Amino acid sequence: MKGDDAMTAGEPSAIDDAGWEAEPPASFVRPFLLTAGRIAGGDSLVPPIPIETQVVATDLGLAALDAFAFEQHRDIIAICREPQSLAEIAAKLRMHLNVIRVLADDLRADGQLALYAPAHSNRDVTVLRRVIDGLRAVPDSRGAIREG
Amino acid sequence: MVSELSPTPGARSVRADGERPQPPLPVKMVIAGGFGVGKTTTVGAISEIEPLTTEASITSVAAGVDDLTHTPEKMTTTVAMDFGCVTLDPTLKLYLFGTPGQERFGFMWDDLVEGALGGLVIVDTRRLDDCYAAVDYFEHRDIPFAVAVNAFDGKVEHDLDDVRWALDVADHVPLTVFDARERGSVRDALLVVLEHALATAEQ
Repeated sequence: MKGDDAMTAGEPSAIDDAGWEAEPPASFVRPFLLTAGRIAGGDSLVPPIPIETQVVATDLGLAALDAFAFEQHRDIIAICREPQSLAEIAAKLRMHLNVIRVLADDLRADGQLALYAPAHSNRDVTVLRRVIDGLRAVPDSRGAIREG
Repeated sequence: MVSELSPTPGARSVRADGERPQPPLPVKMVIAGGFGVGKTTTVGAISEIEPLTTEASITSVAAGVDDLTHTPEKMTTTVAMDFGCVTLDPTLKLYLFGTPGQERFGFMWDDLVEGALGGLVIVDTRRLDDCYAAVDYFEHRDIPFAVAVNAFDGKVEHDLDDVRWALDVADHVPLTVFDARERGSVRDALLVVLEHALATAEQ
């Protein structure tokens, strides 16, 4: 029966760079079960990890890829072969940002992810100048760049 | 501990394991404004990826934020947030976050906005009051911002001086007109914010 194909839930969904058009099936494991009820942000006393924080899988994490009990952990490690922000991970895995914050921090504590928080750069003149120069070089739709 | 990326590329350390790719320094800007004003269009016009959507939490405040006489009723709400990014060079990546919010209520985005280089408040001159909350927020948090009138169909219905008067924004806040659909126009609007942020930082 054709309908049976749709019932193979729980099977690991293939993670690859091109696969994000297809919507992954919702997990049977509720996200806040994985975080054991812990939440990030909100009224938490711990300052939340910035959403643009870059996350990269470590060799240790990649080596453990097939050993994770929960697909959410495995999925995070798998897409973090390439550096990404917490926000991108949450969007691509369709999980709440605050769940990703907790899970990523757990994986970091286990040495399976490396997190690179932005330095406090918003008052840093050097950073601002670099962003301005970088943005000026972005061409408009006709290919013209902005004169400095 | 979470590692901190150095803002200067020359100072980047080689990591002990040396094999995993070193990520770029992430910086972010915030795109704010009322519902339907063109936040996602703005992000999409310049982002190198199709804008992504994620669920995030914001705190909405039922009573007036400025009222110190009593604790306002706070409520955490899950909202959808659209964002995109531009890789400026291999060591520097700009993220653009369209801030969600129940436009007519007080709300707090601290959790999303902390560390932002600046904000762009998009205005539709037909619905000016939709952007008061965003203007208020940036003013109170001391985040450099500019107001950008989205010229739908290339037309602006009001004189910029009238818009400034109606919004009651301070004279030092830049006010500009842009087209949310045009990459070059979005780029220039973001540059207005950044140049204002730089001038503020240099003071």
